[in-house]
Amino acid sequence: MWINMGPQHPMTHGLWNLRVKIEGEIVKEIDPEMGFLHRGIEKISEDRHYNEVITLMDRTCYVAGIAWEHLYIQAAEQALHVTPPARALWIRVLCEEMQRIASHVMWYAAFVQDLGLMSPFLYGMRDRDLLLDHFQSFTGGRLTYEYMRVGGVRNDLPPGTTDRMRKTLDWLMDRFVEYDRLCMGSEIFRKRCDDLGVLKANDCIAYGVTGPMLRSAGVRRDLRKDRPYAIYDQVDFDMAIADSADVTGRYLVRMEEMRQSVRILRQVVDWLDKHPGPVMAPNLPRWLGAPYAPVGREGYLLKRNYPKGVGLSAIEEPHGEANAYVVNEGGEHPYRVKFRSPVYVNLSAAHKYLVGYHVADIPPIMGSVDVCVGEVDR
Amino acid sequence: MTVQSLYGVAALVAGGIAYLLPFLPPWLVTIIADVVFGAILLAASMINTIVLIWYERKLLGRFMDRRGAMHVGYAGLLQNFADGLKLFRKNTYKPREADSLGFYGGPTAYMVSSLVIFGILPISTGWDNGSLPLSLLLALVIFSFAPLFIFLSAWSSNNKYSLMGGMRSAAQMIAYEVPILIAVVAVVVLSGSFDLTTIVSEQRNYWFALPLFLALIVFVAGMLAEMERIPFDLPEAEAELVEGWNTEYGGMLFAFFMLADYLRALIGSILIVLLFLGGWTLPSYVPAALTSFPLAGIFWFMVKTYLVFGVFVWVRASLPRVRTDQLLRVGWMRMVPLALVSVLIAAAVVAAHCLPVLGCVPGLGS
Amino acid sequence: MGTDGGTGRMTSEEISGRLKEKLPEAVLAFEELPGTAGRVRFRAESALEVFRVVRSDLGYDHLSMVGGIDWVEEREVIYLVWSDLRRNYLLLSTRIAARDAHIESATPVWPSANWHEREAWEMVDIRFDHHPDLRHLLMPDGYAFHPLLRSFKLHEPEELEVKVRRV
Repeated sequence: MWINMGPQHPMTHGLWNLRVKIEGEIVKEIDPEMGFLHRGIEKISEDRHYNEVITLMDRTCYVAGIAWEHLYIQAAEQALHVTPPARALWIRVLCEEMQRIASHVMWYAAFVQDLGLMSPFLYGMRDRDLLLDHFQSFTGGRLTYEYMRVGGVRNDLPPGTTDRMRKTLDWLMDRFVEYDRLCMGSEIFRKRCDDLGVLKANDCIAYGVTGPMLRSAGVRRDLRKDRPYAIYDQVDFDMAIADSADVTGRYLVRMEEMRQSVRILRQVVDWLDKHPGPVMAPNLPRWLGAPYAPVGREGYLLKRNYPKGVGLSAIEEPHGEANAYVVNEGGEHPYRVKFRSPVYVNLSAAHKYLVGYHVADIPPIMGSVDVCVGEVDR
Repeated sequence: MTVQSLYGVAALVAGGIAYLLPFLPPWLVTIIADVVFGAILLAASMINTIVLIWYERKLLGRFMDRRGAMHVGYAGLLQNFADGLKLFRKNTYKPREADSLGFYGGPTAYMVSSLVIFGILPISTGWDNGSLPLSLLLALVIFSFAPLFIFLSAWSSNNKYSLMGGMRSAAQMIAYEVPILIAVVAVVVLSGSFDLTTIVSEQRNYWFALPLFLALIVFVAGMLAEMERIPFDLPEAEAELVEGWNTEYGGMLFAFFMLADYLRALIGSILIVLLFLGGWTLPSYVPAALTSFPLAGIFWFMVKTYLVFGVFVWVRASLPRVRTDQLLRVGWMRMVPLALVSVLIAAAVVAAHCLPVLGCVPGLGS
Repeated sequence: MGTDGGTGRMTSEEISGRLKEKLPEAVLAFEELPGTAGRVRFRAESALEVFRVVRSDLGYDHLSMVGGIDWVEEREVIYLVWSDLRRNYLLLSTRIAARDAHIESATPVWPSANWHEREAWEMVDIRFDHHPDLRHLLMPDGYAFHPLLRSFKLHEPEELEVKVRRV
């Protein structure tokens, strides 16, 4: 019997269709159907100014918007030969790590809700709101930020942000203990999640699976460590690793990642306190300048003489490895923008970790993948 | 007049009618009195059910660090009435391929079978006639009709999710019937009666929860499964089955299912109170002032029932859902042996005539 | 096989040398690309051999993405690969003629190429030979257009005035 789990189904967390062939309650075959949320972001980007693409990036993954801004902005800056000032890099890392916690907390809320436990959903939403408050205080947005610019970030942090941030981080560390007690302390949770959705390390690598799913299989790959971008080589943190390769392992990896993100954020906040400075690159050509950015008088270059280039960036997004490839053929618009979405690839291996389990296991397994359809369909 | 065979309240009503309308024949008075009493019971059970929903929402809200319903009425007390009104005004529709009889009959029968039990359960002295010798069995039998009706409505709604939910529901309820009945046997052995009134009055020295703690655990777990509440709500697991067997239902038909679910939750809590927690009585050694005020029986009964239901809400707020095979395995391989052990315990207590610490029950073993 | 203190890291020159040695005809050029070990331009006809050498001999076992770029007369296919051993990226790129654009599928070498190639096919109209399941992925079945081609025009975007505060 084929059943359609989607496009409107509580398991999907978005808009996609998982066609499942079942015998009794056992999954025999699956066929994911994507594209319900396809907006053609790559195509639209070709008709947009470099800074206008940032708006689209927030819509790519609606729970990790600023991580995608970070991804795109790195590639765009490389393609446009722009170097942002150091403070902007640190602020970007601040944003990315806050977004990582917010995304993981959101994942926790939705994932445990899929298991039938409703309280963590409310707890997760409550704690995520604290981080969104911080985002609102310096970007003005809670979900779609439009904060980064080619050459830096739009504005500096308002005074007092770092102190408020420290308080939030302390609160969050206490909450993480509660989360763990609610889940790992529960016999039923362990019974549901152990040895579920197993995807071993060699399958992960063959199918390109990245992020917490890969690290839960014991593979040490985290682009923040392996290929430090921005300022990740200057902060001190550990890679979260588990070796069970199942849903519990992914849960543990994400929990540990949140703690490590708090650790990074504490260092970033300290650095930002000590090093005031500009947050936009000086001497940007005028056509590249953000609306309210200081624009140097001398640096104006004619658009047609601006050098061409290619930008490639890779970041460890909350869901895994994300790549952006930006081709600059002159002009205000990128010639081609190509993204790699980690969830897209993780989903393409779904038959490996879904077939053979129960129908009731599909929501926790797909929950542990942390599907964000916005970035799958783009 | 045969008022002796009526319920206490019904007798009161019958007496009133006979006084006001003396020309009516006695059999007509009896019928009218029964109908009036039925209406009172219906209203009482429905209001209780709706308050129960409010109670769950508020309690769940507190467990989840929020407030629950707040806006309609004082502290949201009228919220459920507003919700009910909304559901009542909604259009009910039927999928084209669904079978009419099952689709409409299933929820109705489910609701009615749940309501009927309220006519059997004694709420306090004065409600009951003390002459239903098998009231416990009757209540449990009607209670176990439910999987049939659920499966009927699931199958006739012609939806794959509904069908899976219905099958799960049937498997689960049948699997948990057995331990529940065995646990009840332990109570029956200890009290020597199938009559709920007698079972309650046998608990005047100590509650059966003490010697039959194992049976209580089995019964509570079984009731959770019968009521289909978390952690055993997999027939309507919204994450994978989209509300399972009530996927296709909307409007008032859905309200029937929801009300019947809470009615069954109420019945489950009442049964636990009656069988294990002394019903409307308090142990005989508590101060008499606690039990001598007017309507004390009903008061204590309601307090206990709502506390028991509060435990169910607490469980819902803190446990995830189990899987079908795990549920069935626990049912057959853990619950049944535990229930059998509790029957042995009950037999031992009866054989010893007394409970060592709490003293003897008059009439035990006689 | 590594030379960088036993860590398995190789400089770009070594990678390029090894590629030239193994595949003298297939590799057209080796360019520097910041952030990666380099960019290998190869001939589309010998794609599968290049993939095999990059995967097995050079140890790039993780395929990050496959993308197509439309250069009007030509189409470019890029493969971004990552090696856990060397901890760097390598970009493979090849150009094929736009008329009847096709290239050998990378799925035998990297199974993860499956969805990437389906997307590249439906977006940029590059056919991947011997692909196990070349169906539409993001677009509806039977969709006749290839949206990421330059010939697929969007409506004219409104001219947006970027107001810059004068300093």
